[in-house]
Amino acid sequence: MAGEKGGKEAAAGSRFLALLKRNRALLIFFLFILVMPLWAENVYKTISLDFVFIMRLVGVYTIAAVGLNLLMGYAGQVSLGQGAFFGIGAYTSALLTLKAGFPVWVGIALAIAVSALFGILVAPVLRLKGHYLAMATLGLAIIVFVFLREMTWLTEGNFGLSGIPSLNLPFTSITGFDLPFIKDKAQRPELYLQFYLIWIIVFAALILCSNLVRSRVGRSMRALHQSEVAAEAMGVNVSAQKIKVFVLSAALGGLAGGIYANLQGYIDPNMFTITLSISVLTMVVIGGMESIWGAVAGAAVITFLPKMVEAIPKWVGDAPKWLERYSNYEGIVFGLILVLTMIFMPSGITKGLSDLVRLRRSPFVNPFRRKAVE
Amino acid sequence: MSRESRPDGGANVALLEAMSLTKTFGGLAAVKDVSFKVESGSIKAIIGPNGAGKTTLYDLLTGIYLPDEGSVVFQGRDIVGLATHEITALGIARTFQTIRLFPEMTVIENVMVGLHHHTRAGFVKSAFRAPSAMREEAWMREESLRILDIAGLEMQADNLAGSLPFGQQRLLEVARALATKPRILLLDEPASGLNAYETSELGEIIYRLRDMGVTVILVEHDMGLVMRISHEVLVLDYGEIIAEGTPDEIKGDPRVIEAYLGSELD
Repeated sequence: MAGEKGGKEAAAGSRFLALLKRNRALLIFFLFILVMPLWAENVYKTISLDFVFIMRLVGVYTIAAVGLNLLMGYAGQVSLGQGAFFGIGAYTSALLTLKAGFPVWVGIALAIAVSALFGILVAPVLRLKGHYLAMATLGLAIIVFVFLREMTWLTEGNFGLSGIPSLNLPFTSITGFDLPFIKDKAQRPELYLQFYLIWIIVFAALILCSNLVRSRVGRSMRALHQSEVAAEAMGVNVSAQKIKVFVLSAALGGLAGGIYANLQGYIDPNMFTITLSISVLTMVVIGGMESIWGAVAGAAVITFLPKMVEAIPKWVGDAPKWLERYSNYEGIVFGLILVLTMIFMPSGITKGLSDLVRLRRSPFVNPFRRKAVE
Repeated sequence: MSRESRPDGGANVALLEAMSLTKTFGGLAAVKDVSFKVESGSIKAIIGPNGAGKTTLYDLLTGIYLPDEGSVVFQGRDIVGLATHEITALGIARTFQTIRLFPEMTVIENVMVGLHHHTRAGFVKSAFRAPSAMREEAWMREESLRILDIAGLEMQADNLAGSLPFGQQRLLEVARALATKPRILLLDEPASGLNAYETSELGEIIYRLRDMGVTVILVEHDMGLVMRISHEVLVLDYGEIIAEGTPDEIKGDPRVIEAYLGSELD
């Protein structure tokens, strides 16, 4: 009896070890996130880059990007509509918490549900393929934006919604969240709490999605991406599978939006224009299609970029004037990044960089090593 | 030699029956009033010049196209109107004339997709790695290796399907179709592009399938292979059946010779 129990425990232990081994990259990143507040405050003081603050947003965008990556990277259905689901999630949670007085976490849960429901409603667009699907989802993003702006009786239109209850521990309103290892108690406890809450959700989403893509379901998604006819002939219900991925992607978009609203405390329709869809798409592409990790990298690059440009004038006294007007031409920069990524790292930065490392170690082709005889 | 050794002992059970199938594309009849029966455990070849409607016939049998007229009865059930994946689940699998593997997936993953409808784990169970999903996953891997072994591809299991040499890609298509555990397997020119050695290997595999109880329909241009392995041959020309019989009967049929070589002294 005891031996059996011991065996069971050992099995559970080795399963846990296997889990850690399988997700070791995730584990390293988890530790990185865990200790971030230890050094972030000092970094903020020196280079005016508020890591904890920005990383909350990175987390939010990661969720939206990982959702889009399932749909676009794995299942091959290009969507320019992720911003729409993000917006619907944001408004659902904002309205429910602000006007109906729901707890924040209920608001966010319902944001997921409403976005998913909307995804089911518009799922027939998946009958379209390739560019046509991209166009249709683009239209979707624009329609949702117009609705958010014009339904003033509900959304207050361009005035936006302000005073949205902020993200907190479930069903409580703890604001005095002290981290034992932060000596300077003067800074923003709520920020750290939100940072950890968001990243717990992000890690959960990343782990679940990476499990999913390595399963039967993930294989069927990749199969229908590569040949719909063959996938169907192998017994995969292609149209049903597409709809399921689309709805999951919408739900993740809604989750991201819901968190976003409760994080910012203020939303207006102009946050959820087609630009948002395009930046989420940029995150997926530069992070890497068919890469769960790419979503984090892509979201980090796209979110940090404007903040860094913003911080440059604080580093150097006489920063050129055009840097201050960065937000005016941010779209051009994104476009440029997108084009350069497609040319030089078509599989995204995560795969692109790991390939570079492999290439550098390779004894064969090695552009990095100088030729012995010039 | 094997033509006499049918496992069903010639019980003449029609596993699949096509009844006056017709399909026209813009006035052109690709398949016209085609009826035939396939007996359980047999190997039936469908031959005919290019454009005779062989692939269209396959597309009708597997639900990719709806026939304009006629019906397909499989194991006593009319399958016209069912979706392709439903037909696959009933037990009709196919390969493609132009190779349609999943090139960016590994060889074993390709076969595992073929096992899709034999497994149940959905989004939630897969995402949470539920024990039942994990058991299925282990079973799929084991089963796929077994199937790859039949096709002689087990050494290639972890290579990308797109990186295989052409002949092995053809074999992988067969292996992947086999993974759906079909009662009847439709092979669409499996020997095209194969060299003599690979073709004879393919013939061996088809025999082995027959011994496993899989009925085979074979569309093929390699007459050597067709005449060697099939029990019955059906000849199509311009979408119509012009002859049906044993390989020996077909070889001497003047209509067949005419279809292939043109009529004498026209």
